[in-house]
Amino acid sequence: MKKYAAIASLIGIALSLFGEFVVQAKADEFGAAVKTIEQFYHVKHQSVPLVARASLKAASAAAKIRGGDYKRIAEAGSVRMVYFENQEFDSRGSISSFKTSLLTAVGDTWTSLMLTLAPQTEDQSYIFLRSVGEKFQVLVVTISRHDATVVQITVRPDTLAQLLKDPEGMGKAINDDAMTDN
Amino acid sequence: MKTLFHTLTIATLLLLLIVGTTASALAQTARIEVSQLEHLTAKASETVDVNIDEKLLQMTAKLFSNKGDEAKIKDLINGLKGIYVKSFEFEQEGVFSNADVESIRVQLRNPSWNRIVGVNSRKEGSVEVYLMTNGSQVGGLAVLAVEPKELTIVNIIGPVDLEKLSELEGQFGVPELGIEDIKPKTKN
Repeated sequence: MKKYAAIASLIGIALSLFGEFVVQAKADEFGAAVKTIEQFYHVKHQSVPLVARASLKAASAAAKIRGGDYKRIAEAGSVRMVYFENQEFDSRGSISSFKTSLLTAVGDTWTSLMLTLAPQTEDQSYIFLRSVGEKFQVLVVTISRHDATVVQITVRPDTLAQLLKDPEGMGKAINDDAMTDN
Repeated sequence: MKTLFHTLTIATLLLLLIVGTTASALAQTARIEVSQLEHLTAKASETVDVNIDEKLLQMTAKLFSNKGDEAKIKDLINGLKGIYVKSFEFEQEGVFSNADVESIRVQLRNPSWNRIVGVNSRKEGSVEVYLMTNGSQVGGLAVLAVEPKELTIVNIIGPVDLEKLSELEGQFGVPELGIEDIKPKTKN
């Protein structure tokens, strides 16, 4: 009996370790989204230094949430952001294939809240959500003909509730916010 | 006495199971399948896809205050299980076919869906509003808006207050449908 219990324990440990490995391997969907853009469009990302973010903040309008009066959207230190500047984003009529690739890369631990696609101008925006304890992570991918950004932030539930009132304005509000020194 | 208590417990559990299953089935079938329209994405000048599930809606409802506009929205979304919007805009007329529109209508011909007559919209084209009911229970709502250069499907799961539907326009990704009034008469 003891022998069976020991085997069961070992199997349990092995399964939990395997589970841990799977979670870790799939953990960085932000990176997967960036990689998908690079591979599909043959472009290369740049990171945004904090100093640059601060200067961009000065040049851009403050992030606004409809009906809310929030100074900041992202929780302190939670912003991850890369951008692609002055590059060519042309899917050559295969914008749906890119959408499929991106959704696959981001995976099912995230919920696709909203996406907009305009094949002729190549304008695309994707907003993904997932809960992390009491808070939420939001992943925003924005692509236009020559530029793109990928932003991941953590938000409080009350901030997210305000953002949800206007999902179409949500991506812009988050991008604007991510331009600030966090 | 013990046997009676035991019987009552089992009966209550069975009743809960039946009610739960019915509610769940109603919520599930109120969801309209739109994946067959995916081929329109490449032809559209813009496609919008919004998916707000029950968890997000109820979290939002809990966090809104009981004052002003927030109270109105809270009242609207309380109890809802999902808001789903699929919208296509085209540069030219005739890009989507009758078959595309029929692929939505055929789902709404299910006996549990009733088309609400007397819906007026300020927009050109047609706006059809369907309500899913089971007795007095409202399980969901579907709006099919067809214009020469636009096709929109709004699908709200859960108990929707028809009289307040227009208040949802412009909120939670629900587009402006120009709905002015809905008379609660229905036909299949």
